[in-house]
Amino acid sequence: MTIYLIIPLLVVVALLQATVIPHLTVLGVFPDLPVIVVVCWGLLAGAREGLIWGFIAGVAVDLLAGAPFGAATLALSLVGFLSGMSGPIAVRARFILAMLVVFLATIVYDLLFMLIVQISGQAVAWLENLARIAIPSAALNAMLTPIILGALHLLRNRFGREEMEW
Amino acid sequence: MSRERLQNLIPVLLIALALAGFVLHRAGWLAPVEGLLIRASVPLQDGATSVATWFGEVSQTVGDLRDLRQRNEELEAENAGLLLELVRLREVEAEAVLMRDLLNFAQAHPSFDLQGAHVVGRVIGRDPSNLQRYITLAAGREEGIERNMPVVTDRGLVGRISEVGDGWSRVLLIIDTSSLVNALTQSTRASGLVQGQADSSLAMLRIPQGDIVSVGDTVSTSGLGGTFPRQIPIGQIVEVSRKDYELYQSAVVQPTVDFEHLEAVLVITDFETVGDKASEEQDQ
Repeated sequence: MTIYLIIPLLVVVALLQATVIPHLTVLGVFPDLPVIVVVCWGLLAGAREGLIWGFIAGVAVDLLAGAPFGAATLALSLVGFLSGMSGPIAVRARFILAMLVVFLATIVYDLLFMLIVQISGQAVAWLENLARIAIPSAALNAMLTPIILGALHLLRNRFGREEMEW
Repeated sequence: MSRERLQNLIPVLLIALALAGFVLHRAGWLAPVEGLLIRASVPLQDGATSVATWFGEVSQTVGDLRDLRQRNEELEAENAGLLLELVRLREVEAEAVLMRDLLNFAQAHPSFDLQGAHVVGRVIGRDPSNLQRYITLAAGREEGIERNMPVVTDRGLVGRISEVGDGWSRVLLIIDTSSLVNALTQSTRASGLVQGQADSSLAMLRIPQGDIVSVGDTVSTSGLGGTFPRQIPIGQIVEVSRKDYELYQSAVVQPTVDFEHLEAVLVITDFETVGDKASEEQDQ
């Protein structure tokens, strides 16, 4: 898929995350759409593309967020890369696997995010955030994974399975 | 008489007949005939007048319709303009009420130096991350805003400035889990630390076991630490958790500020800290 399609797509994802998604709160947390999208793409297209998608999405999120710039970029890049390392998956057979990977990836993302925020000088309530934010939002992300994974799978089929072009 | 001579006589005869009629009319001899003719022509005249009137009315109606349509369009345009003006005036009114409330706060705290600021993207309102609670202001370094300055509204404490740029600044809200505020209950002066919770509520922690804390108590800033001025409202206690075997008790605090609908805030650019006041009193 060409970079000229990926960048606007991920910017839209980040904008949705900053505008609409916070209003879809369940038990005090809302989904992390960029995390789900990046991890699902990593699962479909591999580590390299997961890393690139994570980087682009992370920059977009950092521009809109109040956290130290780079927190989302670093965390999403790493999570995208790690999710891609599990190798491209056959979507039809592996929804459960994808949900599990997204669940774990969300927790890893939140832990990385908190670490970066702490390093940049802000106080972080680790246990509170892990118990009351990271785990519930990971569960919410996992539930939405089949929809996002299916949509990305269709997108990938439509715009070509070849590696990303620059 | 030849045909030609007869043809030449007809105009003469007609003129003669006209003259005769004129003379007879002047003499009054034609009155009965005229009366008969007039009576006979009245229905015809009435009929013709009705038809003419009808045509006139139709033509008038068509003209009126055109005028009415045009007038209707003008009135609709005027109405649309008035509606927009009404919406704008209602916005102005709401803004005026907001500014009045902030002004009242400023007048009630003459010792504070204040800088007003609008919240950017107030319709958006929330940070895109579950882990952070920030808002962005449309005011920054140029307006004299610096890092760690307190941010308030007329309802109470909002947070503190965490990042500043030219023309913008970010506020870490007190409902963020990394926010800690030294606080006191208004009635019993029980002290504690107010920390943001994951569900955007507040908890007052580290309240000594011996202090009395009740549901309904107002919690405000204590001023300790120097980050926030004293007596800025934070919230109201809605639940108390007290266990005899623990060193401290805790309470759930409902914030006074509506963080979902922040539009304009005040940044306290200068204030007298508890330490400053103590030094003053000591010097005296």
